[in-house]
Amino acid sequence: MTFQTFCENIVKIMVKYWDVFLIKGLSITISLSIIAVFFGAILGALLALGKMSRFKILRGIITAFIEIIRGTPILLQLYLFYFILPMALPALNIETYPSIAIALVVNSSAYVSEVIRSGIQAVDKGQTEAARSLGLNKTQTMLKVVLPQAVKNILPALGNEFIMIIKETSLASTFFVGDLMTSYLTVRGATFLAIESLFIVGVIYFVLTFALSKLVGVYENKLKNAE
Amino acid sequence: MKKLFALVMVLCMAFSLVACAAPAAEEAPAVEEAPAVEEAPAEEAPAYTFVEDGKLLVALSPDFSPMEFVDTSKSGQDQYVGFDVFLAKYIAEQLGVELEIKPMSFDACQAAVQMGAVDMSISGFSWTEERAANYCLSDYYFAGENETEQTIIVAADKAGTFATVEDFAGLKIGAQGASLQESLCNSNFEGIATVEIFKDINDAVLALKSGKIDGVAVATGNGEAIIANNPDVGMSGFSFEIDESAENNVIMLNKNSEALTAKVNELLAAALEAGYYGEWYAAAQELAGIETAADVSYDDEGNVA
Repeated sequence: MTFQTFCENIVKIMVKYWDVFLIKGLSITISLSIIAVFFGAILGALLALGKMSRFKILRGIITAFIEIIRGTPILLQLYLFYFILPMALPALNIETYPSIAIALVVNSSAYVSEVIRSGIQAVDKGQTEAARSLGLNKTQTMLKVVLPQAVKNILPALGNEFIMIIKETSLASTFFVGDLMTSYLTVRGATFLAIESLFIVGVIYFVLTFALSKLVGVYENKLKNAE
Repeated sequence: MKKLFALVMVLCMAFSLVACAAPAAEEAPAVEEAPAVEEAPAEEAPAYTFVEDGKLLVALSPDFSPMEFVDTSKSGQDQYVGFDVFLAKYIAEQLGVELEIKPMSFDACQAAVQMGAVDMSISGFSWTEERAANYCLSDYYFAGENETEQTIIVAADKAGTFATVEDFAGLKIGAQGASLQESLCNSNFEGIATVEIFKDINDAVLALKSGKIDGVAVATGNGEAIIANNPDVGMSGFSFEIDESAENNVIMLNKNSEALTAKVNELLAAALEAGYYGEWYAAAQELAGIETAADVSYDDEGNVA
């Protein structure tokens, strides 16, 4: 296979299947990632608060949960949620997309909770002490002094988590959920042109994540300058 | 509330980890685990039941033209086409229920059947002893000559230079994991050639093209479609000696679905008698042809025609 044939095949595939990649695939990859990071951040925040709480048992349970999620491959978690969730809750009649989305949310919540926890704990202890000695109570200290500073640590890391999740959604193609990697499987199955299709999704993934990481970088600088 | 939620999550994870041990331990008789995991209605009554009322859930891996693949011009359930899909439609119609295709990778199909997440899987499965021990397998259905002959494809410059198993001595042969080709390779090439397992055929073809392996075991029909799009790949000239069990495909059902299996066997016999198989295969090939192989093709010099 020469370079020229390679390029020609890519053009051929793109002419015929551009919508499969750029409309179907891209939209599902992005929507899955947004859902995973958004709800993952909410759940992760709750988990982070729980992990820093005074209740030992709650702390233990959450730590176990986070360790299990972070210590097992996401592909395995996708399998579990895809098969176990509809079986455990047959009444809800959960489809492929929601069960994959839930798996990704749970997975990202574990990572995000650690991001948030470390972001909060990275705020200098003196800040809390100063706020407390000025007469603010614990909640006020957290909301008005610690969290605003922690956000600066957390947001860029959340952006990175988003980029990670975009790449991890590719594993959901095991269940043909319709993401970019599913587009690859579909087109490859139809044309038997593997490298060409792989190259196309590779470029799309890269453009997507590169643009996002640049955005995160710009935002990070802005936060730095605001100091 | 958080605590409760976390607790539920942890329990769910723990439960699922246990449940997952079953498919992992492929060799061990996983039969005992299957019913324990299954919460869907088991087949206690003589009549068959479905995982979802009024629906026939069929798992298949739509990346294997012309048996099952995706017609990208359509969406939703309509996009899945191919011989096995026609067969699934026929079965659902005869059972008087609605068909729902559950697309997933080939190995996930087996997990889905074992866990009772779907009613059956029709994804070009061949009969093997291990499968028969852990699943209910239907009678054979026949997809045409091309799908029954098993061969090996090699680099184009070595095409036709192989005749016997010994000709592959010391070479590396690729096969799709958990497939008929894998077991054929293992039994034929033991001590002669190295067998490398791939997640699917297309990955194996990639490895072949990049020179990492020397051949890929495929069904002839599939091999022809691959060669049509890859001029640097050719037929080895070797074909496996296979018995009847390997020539035909079976439908895979849960170990507890004896009643449904019996009904499916009845329907398969009726389909054979009515001569549907040939019709379906021709229709599937036509769909695959329009969609695919002929579309992006090469001339003799390897350029796109």
